[in-house]
Amino acid sequence: MFSSKFIGLVLTGFFETIYMTAVASLLSYVIGLPLGVFLSVSRPEGISPKPALNRSFGTIVNLLRSVPFVILLVAAIPLTRFILGTSVGSSATIVPLVIASFPLVARSVEASASSVRHGVIEAAQSMGATDMQIITRVILPEAVPSLITGAASSLITVLGFSAMAGVCGGGGLGSIVINYGYYRGETGIMYVLIVVLVLMVQAIQEAGARLSVKSDKNSKNSE
Amino acid sequence: MNQGGTTKHYAVVLADGSFFVWRINMPENDVIIHIEGLGKIYDKGKETEVTALDGVALDIKRGEIFGIIGLSGAGKSTLVRCINLLERPSSGKVTVDGEELTDMDPAQLREARRKIGMIFQDFNLLEQSTALENVCFPLRISGVSRKEAEEKAVGLLNRVGLGDRTGSYPSQLSGGQKQRVAIARALASGPEVLLCDEAVSALDPTTTNQILDLLQEINRELGVTIVMITHEMKVIEKICSRVAIIADSHIVESGSVSDVFRNPKTEAAKKLILPSGGVEPFDGSGRLLRLVFDGTTTDKPIVANMVLSCGEPVSIVAADTKQIDGKTFGQLIIQLPSGSGSAERMMAYLDSEHISYTEETDV
Ligand SMILES: Nc1ncnc2c1ncn2[C@@H]1O[C@H](COP(=O)(O)OP(=O)(O)OP(=O)(O)O)[C@@H](O)[C@H]1O
Ligand SMILES: [Mg+2]
Repeated sequence: MFSSKFIGLVLTGFFETIYMTAVASLLSYVIGLPLGVFLSVSRPEGISPKPALNRSFGTIVNLLRSVPFVILLVAAIPLTRFILGTSVGSSATIVPLVIASFPLVARSVEASASSVRHGVIEAAQSMGATDMQIITRVILPEAVPSLITGAASSLITVLGFSAMAGVCGGGGLGSIVINYGYYRGETGIMYVLIVVLVLMVQAIQEAGARLSVKSDKNSKNSE
Repeated sequence: MNQGGTTKHYAVVLADGSFFVWRINMPENDVIIHIEGLGKIYDKGKETEVTALDGVALDIKRGEIFGIIGLSGAGKSTLVRCINLLERPSSGKVTVDGEELTDMDPAQLREARRKIGMIFQDFNLLEQSTALENVCFPLRISGVSRKEAEEKAVGLLNRVGLGDRTGSYPSQLSGGQKQRVAIARALASGPEVLLCDEAVSALDPTTTNQILDLLQEINRELGVTIVMITHEMKVIEKICSRVAIIADSHIVESGSVSDVFRNPKTEAAKKLILPSGGVEPFDGSGRLLRLVFDGTTTDKPIVANMVLSCGEPVSIVAADTKQIDGKTFGQLIIQLPSGSGSAERMMAYLDSEHISYTEETDV
């Protein structure tokens, strides 16, 4: 069972999963980070209230979040074809992954940004800071520990999505589990891959928690 | 104690190194903060309107330490936040250093705020930044280079006594130290005015005194006008030259601290100056007198002499003495005996000793 072919297969799947998770998460943050900050500062109690825009973006985010990923995976096929010319393989999976993840990232960033104490923001306003300076020099730096925690859970969610994408020819560990474990009934391989996935999730969680604590100057645990 | 006016020094240095310095006494009535008709209505939803300020007028002089005192919910924070427009007034005018803030667009307002420092009860430091970075903040956002900002910040931290803690994060500092960092930060942009909203309320008495001393030094050395918001009379007594009493969204009384303290006219002022805590006349019949000592007579045992010369006892209902302007002031509420004529005799005795007093109808 543990032939070199098998090991090669697992390694390929492993790296494909890392590739999909990393690129999809990165792109999700490219969209989700500014969107999340916007959702936070444009709240009625934010530094730059924009009720109408806030509600519009909020609704879009909520709608996207309420579509189950498996359905999004299928629904995104035409769009993926249009962008990449193909809808199979790990690169193609990144499109639905980003569509599913950026709303989650946006909400997570919004929560982190909104947790910054209002008094600190007020102090910056009393010193004549612009809204942009408050975002880049107060809200984001103050939210770093919380943003790191949020990033770890987002990464884990994207990893889970990427495994699910195996159902639609998505590549990565998920598709190996489907192909070997489900279609060929090789349960041994399946369990090995499950262990690999669990270890990856654990690693992300642990790293996230440690980084967050280490970055937090407001906690007793930091040096 | 600060007398309201300040002395400005002007110097001209000639090319050969010789220089002239001259002092100009700023007139007593040089107003730096002018507030008129200030009103603030909080409009949370439609039903629950809260009037936090109503028709507030105030003139604060350049270089003075001005106290604003009031009980919780009186509108103190709202008032001070309307001075730098952190809170947008619903009506009225706020002028700081000749510029009408209520008339400015956002960019002008940001510029004007750089001349108005502010410190808070809970310090509001950037928790994820060191003391040095915190003090650099106002400089960096106004475009000062990192190197220059850090040099200035180190100087300021030295000034507030934290030269050895530049690399500490707020979580590693005590409350008093955090407030020192906040003061250094507020001074970084070279403000004309420093607004303090309950700046010492979170601190223990010793630390409170140290911070008040620091603020007083800053006022004297830099000529920064200080507005102190507080609910504690002792803060006013320690460093303020003038005071306004705010109650129920209105300024009910204002003037020099010694005047207001010696002769409180309103209920609100009396409550703050000598909190009676529900003092009741002991037998419900004797008249109550509030005696005020002005610092020249307290070394005489006035009450004892009065009792001896009139031959009747009095009850001391409440007593308090304070240091204002370096002189001792005392307040005493006594209940006179109810016997016929004895109250009059005692008042005559007080008149003969030139002790000012007022009769209290309701303590
Ligand atoms: N953002 C707000 N929204 C609605 N009402 C407010 C708001 N801020 C203050 N108020 C109300 O305005 C009134 C004055 O409040 P303010 O905070 O100015 O009082 P304060 O004198 O500073 O009291 P404290 O000593 O407790 O700080 C209070 O009735 C308060 O409930
Ligand atoms: Mg207050």
